[in-house]
Amino acid sequence: MNDICLRIHGLNVSYDGHTALKNIYLDIPHRQITAIIGPSGCGKTTLLRSINRLIDLTDGAKIRGEIWLDGHNVMSDREDVTSIRKRIGLISQKPSPLPMSIYDNVAYGPRIHGMRDRKELDKTVRSCLETAGLWTEVKDRLQSPATRLSVGQQQRLCLARSLAVRPEVLLCDEPTSALDPVSSQNIENRLIELKKDYTIVIVTHNIHQAMRLADYVVHLYLGELVEHGPASEVFQRPKQDRTRAYINGTVLTKPRTDVEINLKGKVCPLNFVFAKAALENLEIGQVLKVIVDYPTAITEVPRAMEYDGHKVLGVKQLNETDWEVIIQKRE
Amino acid sequence: MQRRKTEEAVFKGLMIASVSIVAAGLLTIVAVIAWKGVPALSIGMITQTPKGGFYLGKEGGILNAIVGSLYLAGGATLLALVISLLVALFLQREYIGKSRWAGVVRLSLDVLWGVPSIVYGAFGFVIMVYLGMRASLLGGIIVLTLLEIPIMARALDEVLRAVPRELKDASYALGTTRLETSLNVVTRQVLPGILTAVLLAFGRGIGDAASVLFTAGYTDRIPTSLLDPVASLPLAIFFQLGTPFPEVQARGYASAVVLLVIVLLIAVGSRVLSRRLTKYVVK
Repeated sequence: MNDICLRIHGLNVSYDGHTALKNIYLDIPHRQITAIIGPSGCGKTTLLRSINRLIDLTDGAKIRGEIWLDGHNVMSDREDVTSIRKRIGLISQKPSPLPMSIYDNVAYGPRIHGMRDRKELDKTVRSCLETAGLWTEVKDRLQSPATRLSVGQQQRLCLARSLAVRPEVLLCDEPTSALDPVSSQNIENRLIELKKDYTIVIVTHNIHQAMRLADYVVHLYLGELVEHGPASEVFQRPKQDRTRAYINGTVLTKPRTDVEINLKGKVCPLNFVFAKAALENLEIGQVLKVIVDYPTAITEVPRAMEYDGHKVLGVKQLNETDWEVIIQKRE
Repeated sequence: MQRRKTEEAVFKGLMIASVSIVAAGLLTIVAVIAWKGVPALSIGMITQTPKGGFYLGKEGGILNAIVGSLYLAGGATLLALVISLLVALFLQREYIGKSRWAGVVRLSLDVLWGVPSIVYGAFGFVIMVYLGMRASLLGGIIVLTLLEIPIMARALDEVLRAVPRELKDASYALGTTRLETSLNVVTRQVLPGILTAVLLAFGRGIGDAASVLFTAGYTDRIPTSLLDPVASLPLAIFFQLGTPFPEVQARGYASAVVLLVIVLLIAVGSRVLSRRLTKYVVK
């Protein structure tokens, strides 16, 4: 079992009674890129934050299960959470430079973990910045504030900062979603280079990015593990319908649509008044599909429905102007 | 549409009126104090301690009160900063933020903020009598510290609560403890806010007369030890205005000018400092 880096065993996470992850059993391979794919709100980020126990800091989170990292159960109370987090680095969605200089950002982790020697620090900072592909751009202004960098540079700085504490695993939570295409490409190239030394787990809702990067793919849907396996298999011959549908860009809803109404041309708040009226006539658990084309409706209709206690199963773009919102009636 | 425009205009008018009231209030106070005090101001006034007969209109100055006030407010602000920062950090979600106790502590601080300073003074006095202490610099600093803690702790609490979650997560993800993150990242991020809190507390401390009346006492000498009694500017103003002699009363106003200038210098100084400190802050 040398090629397994992380073994997730029966992981369940809930927030205030709402289940975010159900019974996840998963092995994450050593020194490969594992992509976790799935629509928004399916528990991808929760899974990531469980692995380095940042989830401890979330109010109302209840966690059951085990995550093994070479003989240590990450979830155990007896494990020292700081040494776990040192071994498992995180790149977040939005670059978050610390309020200090570029140099100090990278040196922050090593200093906390006891590196004091100036020469050694200089060497670490330089090598991490080089690995992150930022050294040539910042070598003349190491003392300037990290916030002066562009967003793309900031994300590479965050990468360098994570590498500086010598982790074994790198968790990336949609690391390119705030970046422009060129910066995204740059980060992707770094990750491909880094996989020879690190186990990388990347959360993405960009299926093409997953195809470009992943060696191993995990598909989550509404907190359940739908399918996982080597990228070539999952992408070319998905075993599950839901995975095939997701890869093909269709959100497959488990319950069938019972009623469909077309609200094209209707503005807010007229569109959700009609949607509400249509839901009135449904039984609990039945599903309504609403087609909208008014730009704010795409966010406002789902929000209004959730406010009323109904469950929004999916929002999907149909063509240039039209979107569909799928709502399940709740009490 | 017309109605909404009128609304806009009316509220703009009200805003301008409110700002004018504040500005006019401040200007009038400064003008009256300056008009009555500046003629009595002299170099001797701020470089000498009171000589014999100072309160009858003879030679001397209020150096004792200037130095005393700086000692008192400076010491108290420093002490209050240390305590308040710890209190405010503890109130955040990493520590007790998740429990109801955070609310209880915040409520207590808000109530303490509203307690009149004379009550602090009386409280401090009772404790000092019980301990057998005389009115002294130490007693004054302790009571002023208590007076400053609520305002400082609540101000710090508010700025700390505004620290972005991602920033703390980024630090935790590197394997830091709560303390390391609090001291190295959070505190750095809120440095300008800390400065504002310090300024607020210092202003309250240096301007308060009632709390130091019993606890710090009053003396014509500059204290050389923490256990000596100490003079303060608000009390100097109070005593001088209380005399029946016009020239001594004018010196009271001059003392007020000195107090005002000190507060102004500190405020401007902290603004300048604040601009430098925001250099690294993540927006």
